[in-house]
Amino acid sequence: MPLLKYSAKVWDAMSLKKGIYARLPKHYLKSLEPKEPTPVHWKPLGVQYRVGPKTGQRERVQDVPIPIYYPPESQDGLWGGEGWISGFRYANNDKMSTRLKKTWKPQLLKRELYSEILDHKFTITVTAHTLDLIDAAFGFDFYILKTTKEDLNSKLGMNLKRAMLLRLARRETELYPSDPTKRDKVYEKYRQQFEIPEEEAEWVGLSLEEAVEKQRQLEHKEPEPLFKVYVDQLVEELHTQKLCQPHLMEKK
Amino acid sequence: MWSSGRRVLQDLFSQFSVRSFCLTPAQNTVVVERWWQVPLSKIDSPAKLHPRRHRIYKIVEDTKHAPKEKMELILTQTVPRLGGRGDTVFVKKSVGRNKLLPEGLAVYPSPENKQMFAEELRLLREGKPEERIQTRTGQLTVEFLKRSKLRIIKTSDEFQLTKEVVCRQFAKRLGVVVPPQALNLPFEPIKDIGDYWCEITVNGLDTVRIPISLEPYDPSAGYLQQLKAQKQAAADNSEAAEEEEAVVKAVSDAAEDAQVAKDSVSQVKASIEASARDETVATTQKTQDTTAPPSDSSKKD
Repeated sequence: MPLLKYSAKVWDAMSLKKGIYARLPKHYLKSLEPKEPTPVHWKPLGVQYRVGPKTGQRERVQDVPIPIYYPPESQDGLWGGEGWISGFRYANNDKMSTRLKKTWKPQLLKRELYSEILDHKFTITVTAHTLDLIDAAFGFDFYILKTTKEDLNSKLGMNLKRAMLLRLARRETELYPSDPTKRDKVYEKYRQQFEIPEEEAEWVGLSLEEAVEKQRQLEHKEPEPLFKVYVDQLVEELHTQKLCQPHLMEKK
Repeated sequence: MWSSGRRVLQDLFSQFSVRSFCLTPAQNTVVVERWWQVPLSKIDSPAKLHPRRHRIYKIVEDTKHAPKEKMELILTQTVPRLGGRGDTVFVKKSVGRNKLLPEGLAVYPSPENKQMFAEELRLLREGKPEERIQTRTGQLTVEFLKRSKLRIIKTSDEFQLTKEVVCRQFAKRLGVVVPPQALNLPFEPIKDIGDYWCEITVNGLDTVRIPISLEPYDPSAGYLQQLKAQKQAAADNSEAAEEEEAVVKAVSDAAEDAQVAKDSVSQVKASIEASARDETVATTQKTQDTTAPPSDSSKKD
């Protein structure tokens, strides 16, 4: 066991505290904080204590989340928080019977979903749960904009969210450029809940690598040749020297 | 950054030619729980899971086998068999998602949409006559009334055609409930046999003129012919009732039909007992006058 100055567990957290990571915008760093997604594949008890079914006494309980595997494909679709549950089951639902390996996978569907803000139809891999969520949110745009990053759990969803927020922020040029009445209607519909400034919208849903690259590009400056710097310096010096010299007037 | 975002979305812009192969009902979210109870951990410390035992799951619920719920939508246009603009309907999810919403026939019942349609309905009820629009059921009623004609048979000498009688005849012959304030009868009271007309205003907007013919009771017509004529009338009535089923909500058609049937029966009887017919029919009319006043429940919804 090597003797480390800091525990390896905090390396990730520490790396965000220095260098270019520390210069990332505040709102973006806040969005990186890990949060628990809404459970889809298990039912939380939602209480700290309850009356035990066997003893009849008050006892402490706790929710233990079921680990769910999100395959890389889930990032290219909207699975609505669903994923693979890999584990075991008992044959015949009998605890004394054989234990069998089992992976529960969601049923995936391809659906055309129309976004009002982007004014385009997307063919997206979704699950039935996603469609229900879209209905519950009263529309595809509302679903994408309302749902948090953890619940969307999809790079595609976050990209759509950024595109929509940018459209709303740059409404004069990009939101229905040929149809002002429709633009006002759509803008009024989403303005109250979702409008954020353009600078923030540009950062929504970026992965850490993308964000660092963006920050690097923002900070990047063309190197200035030294000879230009020295010429400027020399001109400055000569100028001051000339000013310091007494002004001689010729006698006539 | 916008450009890179577009690049990520690029593959979505290309249309997929292949449909998803699976056509089974799209419901499949499994909810699982552990077979083995996890021992309690200290507060704010993660639970210690057995690597194998705590990965054995039991299905609690699979939404694939859950009962299929319906979806609430508000129609923006008239959809056959569903309803008219502003109606809240419950449809199968597939119908709503694949037909009504993409074709713009319906919208989600979000609070804003609900408020909008409530406002529209309020305007329709209370607004100025120029701004009000006829409802779908109102239009259907107008269409039906334009096609119809009222035949009334004069049964006795002291028979007069008043507003109440016409209303009752409308209910009896055509299955249309006409409140007296919607009826305009210019030649009241009518005693002579002949052709007249009356005007019905639907929802206080559209006025339809309907011909009325007051015909004498024809005792020369044979029993069979009369029966045939009555059958014809009954068929017409049933057609009318079918039409009305879509139109009228407040009115119970069954009761009307029953009434019509009873009337025809009584008339048949009346024709058989030819001698005492005038009295009987008159009495039936009278009883109806007392028992069945013109319904106030208007068909104007």
